[in-house]
Amino acid sequence: MPFINAIASDKTLKTDIKALIPDPMVRRRMSRIVKRGVSVGMECLLTAGADTIDAIITATGFGCLDDSEKFLRNIIDTDEQLLNPTPFIQSTFNTVGGQIGLLCKNHCYNMTYTHRGRSFESALLDAVLLLDAGEAHNVLLGAFDETTPTQHKIMERMGLWRRAQAGEGAYFFVVSDQRGANCVATIDRPEFLQTPATEENLRQQYANALFYNDYADCGVFHTAAAAVLFEAINRLSPDTPKLTLYNTYFGTMPTMLHIRAC
Amino acid sequence: MFPVKISGIGVVSALGIGVNANLEALQSGRSGLGAISLFDSNHCVPVGEVKCSNDELRQRLGLPIDKVFSRTAMLGMMAAREALDDAQIDTHWRVGLVSATSVGGMDLTEQFYRDFMRNLDGGRLRMVVHHDSADSTLHIADYCGIDHFSTTISTACSSSANAIMLGARLIRAGLLDVVVAGGTDALCQFTVNGFASLKILDTQPCRPFDATRAGLNLGEGAGYIVLQRADTPSVRDYGRLLGFANANDATHQTATSQSGDGAFLSMSKALQMAELSTAAIDYINVHGTGTGNNDASEGAALQRIFGADIPTFSSTKAFTGHTLAAAGGIEAVFSLLAMRHGAVWPNLNFTTPMRELPLVPETHFRDGLAIHHVMSNSFGFGGNCATLIFGK
Repeated sequence: MPFINAIASDKTLKTDIKALIPDPMVRRRMSRIVKRGVSVGMECLLTAGADTIDAIITATGFGCLDDSEKFLRNIIDTDEQLLNPTPFIQSTFNTVGGQIGLLCKNHCYNMTYTHRGRSFESALLDAVLLLDAGEAHNVLLGAFDETTPTQHKIMERMGLWRRAQAGEGAYFFVVSDQRGANCVATIDRPEFLQTPATEENLRQQYANALFYNDYADCGVFHTAAAAVLFEAINRLSPDTPKLTLYNTYFGTMPTMLHIRAC
Repeated sequence: MFPVKISGIGVVSALGIGVNANLEALQSGRSGLGAISLFDSNHCVPVGEVKCSNDELRQRLGLPIDKVFSRTAMLGMMAAREALDDAQIDTHWRVGLVSATSVGGMDLTEQFYRDFMRNLDGGRLRMVVHHDSADSTLHIADYCGIDHFSTTISTACSSSANAIMLGARLIRAGLLDVVVAGGTDALCQFTVNGFASLKILDTQPCRPFDATRAGLNLGEGAGYIVLQRADTPSVRDYGRLLGFANANDATHQTATSQSGDGAFLSMSKALQMAELSTAAIDYINVHGTGTGNNDASEGAALQRIFGADIPTFSSTKAFTGHTLAAAGGIEAVFSLLAMRHGAVWPNLNFTTPMRELPLVPETHFRDGLAIHHVMSNSFGFGGNCATLIFGK
């Protein structure tokens, strides 16, 4: 069963960003979400202190939305002339994973999942597969999504914020096949449910089931499962040695994560 | 660990809709490149469009006319369905879909955004709900009746090669019996302008590996293959996926190292997994985009691995254009066809070897060859390098 040996989030970032991304030029070019994702990933690596990282797997639902919008606006505003390539380059979904690989000069496996409410769970599945098959010993696994005024407005027009509040964030984990000195939890392969489960059924089946709506704090976004996992890890204790986390994205794409105290 | 075979293929590209149309074009050396007709653009560059309007695609697919579908989703439905129909798989099996895309529903978002920019209450919401990458995957899964598992990979131009790898790993781990894997991307203003801003679009048909190469041409399409456990029965057998690897060049966000470190690693690791010597590779479908950087870097990596005995290789980008996240899927189909027909596809528009690295790709269509092992390369932004090796 994989061990979570380090965790980091943009809400709890301790290290100075200048130490995490030393080159001022590189820092300046990065957009807000890229900078956040990369710094959280780098801090997580520092915390883990693993000798090697064999895979970098990231997840994002909407990717670097602000960069995408900037480039789109630039196309329309300049009528396809005088385009600045930076937002186009950064709009790619694997920008954060690629930049982390670049900063660490790490040639390892580098993958990015972008599957709406199951982006993070897909990335976790990949990580567990690699560890189970002995193809990796330490995996840097992360998720990031941002809200932008445009996205917020569009989803408001869709009526989605009547049911929930918007969230965003960057969360990274080092998942390993060996227990590390700072191990915080163990985690199973994620479960992808065919149909949404009822709260009643899940509570009967799992004494310690936690629901996405138990976490008012993180808000709704595609990779909120990573935020839920981050928060749930902090709830583990001798009295609560295991937790089952049930997630959906506005009631769709249900998944379950199972974690235990380390 | 279960070995994995390929039991179905499907492809849509500028060469046509379906495997037969693509095969015929590859055999006759007919390129699918032409002027942009799908949307208005100031860029006068050749592109590889699928010669079918959105309405025609919708009709061919039998989709309801009152619903909006992104072009990316429709191209994907077409190719994935062909692959599944080809395989005629047992309905009792656990079937999954691993699909790749880089633009998702951007073709529709662009139209929405023009109205939205003027007025925040403008633009029809039905045009923007398809924006995210999962949208095309979920539509393809729905259209093909795949309900067991689906996910989406997006690592720029190596995306669908990576999707095929994950598909194989899900089968090897015993989690699924069958996986439809590949990718889809539609041409849109966003990518045409993106690559224009990087100044790597050639205004002429691209010339991969040529000394005079001046950039790439964009294309669109979709390519999917059906993977299943090699020890299970199948109607068709295109060969096995013997080796695969992903590695990172870790040199630059959009360019690759001069020495081709990432490509060298992905090719070496894939060979290692396939337990093949370099001499066993009969044909390489190279990434070969036609940019100065890619071809020099990939060429250097080829030389590092194969030395003076580089196998017959060619880029099919001058046929289809660079189809971004679909490239690995489309070229997996081309690689499997090469094995099945004992053929190699010509690298169109090549005349003069690069001065610094005088590699000569195959420039003629040839068949009647013994092609037992084919390597296929796909490289993307973020230094992402992927190699697949198929065998008979």
